Amino acid sequence: MGTISKIHEMLTTKQCSCTELTKSYLEEIEKANKELNAYVNVTGDEALNTAKAVDKKIAEGKEIGLLEGVPMTLKDNLSTKNIETTCCSKILTGYKPIYDATVWEILKSQNAVMLGKTNMDEFAMGSSCETSYFGGAMNPFDTSRVSGGSSGGVASAVGGNIAAYGLGSDTGGSIRQPASFCGIVGLKPTYGSVSRYGLVAYASSLDQIGPITKSVEDASIVFDAIAQYDEKDSTSKGNVGGETYSKLNNDIKGMKIGIAKEYLDGVRDDVKEAVLNAAEVYKSMGAEIVYFDLPELKFALPVYYIIACAEASSNLGRYDGIRYGYKTEHYNGTHDMICRTRSEGFGDEVKRRILLGTYVLSAGYYDAYYKKAQNLRGTIVKAFNNAFEKCDVILAPTVPMTAFEKGHAVSDPVETYLTDICTVPVNIAGLPGISIPCGFNANGMPIGMQLIGQSFKESVILNAAYKYQQAAGENFKDTKWGVKL
Amino acid sequence: MGCQTVKYELVAGFETHIELATKTKIFCGCTTQFGGEPNTHCCPVCIGLPGTLPKLNRQAVRYAIMAGLATHGEIAEESKMDRKNYCYPDLSKAYQISQLYAPLCIGGYVELSNGRKIRLHHIHIEEDAGKLIHQHGDTYVDYNRGGVPLIEIVSEPDIRSIDEAREYVEKLQQVMRYIGISDCKMQEGSMRCDVNISVRPVGSEKLGTRTEIKNMNSINNIAKAMEYEFERQVDLLENGEKVTQETLRYDDATNTTSPMRSKEDAHDYRYFRDPDLVTINISREEVEEIRESLPELPADKCKRYIDELGLPEKDAQLLTKYRKISEYFDEACKGVKSAKTVANFIIGQMFSRTETEADKEIFDVAVTPAQLNELVKLIDSGKIRNNLAKSTLEKMLDTGKGALDFISESDMGGLDENTMAELCKQAVESNPKAVEDYKNGKEKAIKALVGNVMKNSRGKADAVAAEAKIKELIG
Amino acid sequence: MVTREDVENIALLSKLFVPEEELDSLTQSMQEIIDFADTINNAPVSGETFDNINNLSNVFREDEVKQSYSSEEILKNAPEQAENHFLVRNRE
Repeated sequence: MGTISKIHEMLTTKQCSCTELTKSYLEEIEKANKELNAYVNVTGDEALNTAKAVDKKIAEGKEIGLLEGVPMTLKDNLSTKNIETTCCSKILTGYKPIYDATVWEILKSQNAVMLGKTNMDEFAMGSSCETSYFGGAMNPFDTSRVSGGSSGGVASAVGGNIAAYGLGSDTGGSIRQPASFCGIVGLKPTYGSVSRYGLVAYASSLDQIGPITKSVEDASIVFDAIAQYDEKDSTSKGNVGGETYSKLNNDIKGMKIGIAKEYLDGVRDDVKEAVLNAAEVYKSMGAEIVYFDLPELKFALPVYYIIACAEASSNLGRYDGIRYGYKTEHYNGTHDMICRTRSEGFGDEVKRRILLGTYVLSAGYYDAYYKKAQNLRGTIVKAFNNAFEKCDVILAPTVPMTAFEKGHAVSDPVETYLTDICTVPVNIAGLPGISIPCGFNANGMPIGMQLIGQSFKESVILNAAYKYQQAAGENFKDTKWGVKL
Repeated sequence: MGCQTVKYELVAGFETHIELATKTKIFCGCTTQFGGEPNTHCCPVCIGLPGTLPKLNRQAVRYAIMAGLATHGEIAEESKMDRKNYCYPDLSKAYQISQLYAPLCIGGYVELSNGRKIRLHHIHIEEDAGKLIHQHGDTYVDYNRGGVPLIEIVSEPDIRSIDEAREYVEKLQQVMRYIGISDCKMQEGSMRCDVNISVRPVGSEKLGTRTEIKNMNSINNIAKAMEYEFERQVDLLENGEKVTQETLRYDDATNTTSPMRSKEDAHDYRYFRDPDLVTINISREEVEEIRESLPELPADKCKRYIDELGLPEKDAQLLTKYRKISEYFDEACKGVKSAKTVANFIIGQMFSRTETEADKEIFDVAVTPAQLNELVKLIDSGKIRNNLAKSTLEKMLDTGKGALDFISESDMGGLDENTMAELCKQAVESNPKAVEDYKNGKEKAIKALVGNVMKNSRGKADAVAAEAKIKELIG
Repeated sequence: MVTREDVENIALLSKLFVPEEELDSLTQSMQEIIDFADTINNAPVSGETFDNINNLSNVFREDEVKQSYSSEEILKNAPEQAENHFLVRNRE
């Protein structure tokens, strides 16, 4: 398994050079991407330049960091200087930012080898990656199935071994859900622990950047690297809970694992069974399973859609064809130009959410929807606080189902929104959540489970996830794609 | 201009935008300097590149608090930033970060010279938009000014005449310049007014339908636009028509107002809390600290000049109009017997050398307050007469030199009574024509005689005493 | 109840064109989403308020000038530009 620590070991013991490694990743991308469609932009030259620099350092006998020289990818909504950043939308085609996202600045300074930018639902709005202007990224376990969304490209690339790890963003489950679908690990950090500067905003009060990795250990390594206070982000707090890597493998005897029955409502049997089996694994390790109700969760989904769409309608107003990105050819005056550009540049799902967001903020509806949703957000935050008086970690499914066939998601928007039901509460309450594989269903598709912790207690959920993998195995299967290490 | 016909009364409120004198923009480190090549005072944040985030300038908040305190407002303990959504090319994010639900300052007032208080609804902070240039149907966009911090001072509809409107704007300008938070240059756009205006029958308490004249950038235009709009609304009502609530622009070339928005600019701003910015909490200690730091405000100064220094109201107003002048006056007054003498020198001689309002505001005169103070003290101690002081001041203003560079020892000490009597006698004897004229009732003729005494005494004679003596001699 | 006029109005506010033939189906689809959103109005009224996730306050930057970008960089991605300005050319 091509984890970060494995690659680090290979590089430091000179089993291969960083350049060789990078080349083999680029070659495998060339082959696999035709079917996976994980990458929308491969940056081979830049990757090889960095690899060369790393090789030089190794040759000079200098010590290299854990992330140094490790081939990785960024979701295409993270701003990368001089490298096209499209959010997989027609409206941002050709846009080459003039600044780097803070997370990329950090990783770049550690000589991370970025192989390219990965596919996503347009502006991160979707649960299957199919709203991408470039077509969806496919599931490496079964390319007739979706990779999940919105960070489908990162998950597809990491699950398909054409990147060791990647950074995605999670507004309502966009890291955890595709990680679950692709049989890998996805961590959505506490709101405020990772700087949002340079993350193209979907819903600013919900968005958070996090790692998608092959192992819990890798998630911890990447999280520790990127969770830094950033003066450019007013909502940044940094890694308040402290670094997590050294706290993996702490004993979890006596840890209280909570299960809220609302999280299991409407969940497919195979998924439910896998999650309840995981609870048994925890029990066998001496953890205590606590059951309780979280009735407030039934409002989480509409609250999420109201807040997310409201913020999105505002965040996406700036795409007007004047400063960057796509601009329509034919128009009659500025207003007409803006409307045409937006109507041609945005896909249907994005337009739908902009319209919904505009509606819930408009005069006469603000109180009934937006204000009420904010009020309920407070209620949900409080409900989680109460729950964490009863337990240390909440165990839940990541998604009520496994990866579905492509084309399944687009027919009914409301039904599609329901796939986010287990992931959105974490975003609403700003909590950290991690999805890890916990088995496979009858079709051989991976099942993910979710561990939710208190704010800035990433180390608690990472540790719990790590211990689970130690006890139950990593439930990791190499797919047929990519670099075999 | 009263703008009050027999039947109708004008009702107006102001929304005044003032650019704050911070060094940097409200949400990024770009300079706020006026001018500059287009799009050179910009960065990813202020041109709204995807993924960028705002960070609030501490000084902008402080300046806004100063404005609130200087207008007698309350500073909110908790204040928040909201997004005002509207899509227009001069707004790089398609929303303006502003405050609606929890503005920084609440209430307050501006007191006019007629004693009326124009109440303020609130003052909030927000960002300025960029600049659009329309040429042959093409639109050019420059974001240098986009993101410059503004305060918006929203008044209640308390203004009842155009004179009051003028004074309200002047008073705001004066007070904001005093506290140093803005240069309030209307011609450069660092102060702009939107005027809400309605009319109602005299005696009615009910507000009429109002129109809003946007973006007025000179006091004269405000007056002209209000006058036009008052008459237009009165005409409508007189003809049995209704005033439509709408936004107007004023065209000073034609002196008319016309509707500004078309259907495509539907306005529903969909304000909501900006999730990229956090709450502003202002402690009471901080408010007091800022209050302490404020300079003496013009209204207080004016009152003090009248009550304590005994200046006429007119003088007090002239001296307090600009902070520089009032500070000059305060400095020059230190330890003098008659503040009025200092006031006379400034208003008489110095103002004739600082003719324009702009010159007065800068008040760059060659004589330092200490030099003027020295000159006045020479009068106080009886060493020189007023006339000599006056002519000396002219020389001082020409050269920047001190009083003692122009006045010799012999000039000081005035005239003894005998010399005075002798000089007066000489004047009467050598000017029989003037004496004759005076005796025939030409009062003014005596001035020529006094002038003769002054000339022969080289300015040392006291003109009043000389006149009395001459009258005595002539009988 | 979402009406065609509502949809037309919010489309105008959103600066999006909705073709006449799509208006009915969009109204229908908006109605479904709004019905879904409406479920929050079944929630009991609570006194909870929400400010920001970590209850942060007073995050400021100091008033210190930072080097701006060159106008070349600022205009680098502009679909159209002239004389150091972003440009919307009249195509009438």
